[in-house]
Amino acid sequence: MQCQEFREIADSYLGNELIVETNHAIISHLEYCAECRRELAARRELRTRLRQAFINATENQMRPEFAERLNTQLHTRTLGKRPNRVATVGTPRSSIRLGRKSWLAIAACLLLGMTFVMIVVRQKASFISREATTTELAKSAVTDHRDCAVRFRLAEKPIDLEAAGRKYDPVYINLTKAVLTEQGGALSDAEFVEAHSCVLEGRRFGHLVFKYHGRLVSFLVTDTGGPNIINGADSPALARLEVTPCSQLEGYQVSCFQTVRHAVFVVSDLSESENLALARALAPSVYAHITGIERAV
Amino acid sequence: MFGSASTRESLVESETRWAGFEAEAMPHAPSLFRIAMWLTRNQPDAEDLVQETLTEGLSSFHRFAHGTNCRAWLISIMYHRQSKKKRASSRLHLVSDAEEFISETVAFEPPTPQNVTDEEVLHALEHLPRAFQEVVILADVEELSYKEIAAALDVPVGTVMSRISRGRKLLRAELATYAQAHGFGRAG
Repeated sequence: MQCQEFREIADSYLGNELIVETNHAIISHLEYCAECRRELAARRELRTRLRQAFINATENQMRPEFAERLNTQLHTRTLGKRPNRVATVGTPRSSIRLGRKSWLAIAACLLLGMTFVMIVVRQKASFISREATTTELAKSAVTDHRDCAVRFRLAEKPIDLEAAGRKYDPVYINLTKAVLTEQGGALSDAEFVEAHSCVLEGRRFGHLVFKYHGRLVSFLVTDTGGPNIINGADSPALARLEVTPCSQLEGYQVSCFQTVRHAVFVVSDLSESENLALARALAPSVYAHITGIERAV
Repeated sequence: MFGSASTRESLVESETRWAGFEAEAMPHAPSLFRIAMWLTRNQPDAEDLVQETLTEGLSSFHRFAHGTNCRAWLISIMYHRQSKKKRASSRLHLVSDAEEFISETVAFEPPTPQNVTDEEVLHALEHLPRAFQEVVILADVEELSYKEIAAALDVPVGTVMSRISRGRKLLRAELATYAQAHGFGRAG
C-alpha cells in the first residue's frame, strides 16, 4: 500500500468501515511508515476533538427542565392510552341489580388487580432504582477519571492498589496484571501510568490509569455490595460477562460490566466504539480474576 | 371477566413498553437534541423536533428491531420529520453544484493539524457546506455507520461515503488554512 492510498482510506479505517483484508494492509503499511502513523494519530485526535467540541458546545446542551418535561409527557402519553383502571360492570343501572356472588367476584377481581398493579409498580421501582444506581456509579467513575487521572485533583490521598487490596478488597491484588498483561496481547499500544485506590463520594474504587492510543484511560473497579446492578438480573447465579456502553458524561465514554459483587468501568475520551472495544478486550481476563476471588472469599 | 383481565394486560403492556423505551431510547435524547439544534439552529424548534421524534418513536417502538442501533433509528425518524417540514426548501439532501465544486478543489491535502482547540474545530466545521457538515457530524460525532447515515438521509451509501470523505478532507484543509493564518496547531 502506498501513502496516498492510505490517506484516502485512513478515516474509514478509524471508523471501522473497512474489510479485514484492507485493515491488514493498513496495519502492514503503518508498521514501516512513521509519517502515516503520525497522520493517523493526528486524524484520530481531530476526530476526538471534533466529537468533544460538538458534544460539549453550550448551545447543544439540552435544558434539564425540557428533559424532565419530555420524560413526563411521554410517560403520561404511554399510560394515558390504557383503558380505565376501574372495572366496567355493564351500565350503572345493571350494576345495581348485581347479586351477592357477583359483588364477591368483583371484590376478588379488584383485590387481584390491586395486587397485580402493586407487583408491577414494585418491579418498575426496582428497575428505576437499578438504573439510578448504574447511572450514579458511572457518574462517579467519570468524576474519578477526570479528577484523579486527568487533573490529579483529589480530596483524599490515594493509596497503593496492592496495599488497598490487602486492607479493603482482595480483587485489587494483581488487578494491574489482570488488566494489562493477561489480556492476551490485545492491547499492544497500552502504556501503564499508575494504579491506586481512592474514595469518591464515600465509595472506594480500585483505579488503574493507562494510556491507549495516546489517550488517558481509567479502569475502575468497585464493590457494589450486592448482585447484578448493571443489567438488572435478579440473582447472583445469572451474572455473566456482558460489556455494554453504559454512559456518556462530560464528553467521556463509559463502558461497563459486572461480576456478582463488583462493577467495572472503563472511562476515556476515546470514541464510543473505541472505548467499548477496549473494554471488551480487557473484560475476559479481569472477569476471570475478579470472579475467581469472589468464589474463594 | 368484567374487563379486568384486559385492563391488567393493558397496564402491564403499557408499563413494559414504557420501561423498554425509557431504557433504550430516552438515553439518546441529548444526542437527538444536538442534531436537532444543528438542523433547526434554534432552541425552541430543536426542542419541538426532539419531542416529535420521541413521540413518534414511542408510538412505533414495536417496530424497532432490538439489538440494532436505537440512536440511528431515532435519528432516522428525526430526519424524516424534518424533511417533511422542510421539503419545500429542499435544504437537507441537495448539494449544490457550487458545493460539489468546492469539495473537488481540495486536491492537495496538507498534514492534519494537531493540538487544535474545540473552538477552532467548531469554527472550521461551520465553514463547510451544510451537506458535508451533516455527514461528518453523523459519522464522527454521533458514530453512525455509513449504512445508518444513508438510511437516515435517504441517499445511497455511495453518496454518503463520498460526502464523508470530502467533508473530512475539507475540514482538515480548513483547519490547516486557519492554522497557517492564525499560527495555531502543529502540523503533524
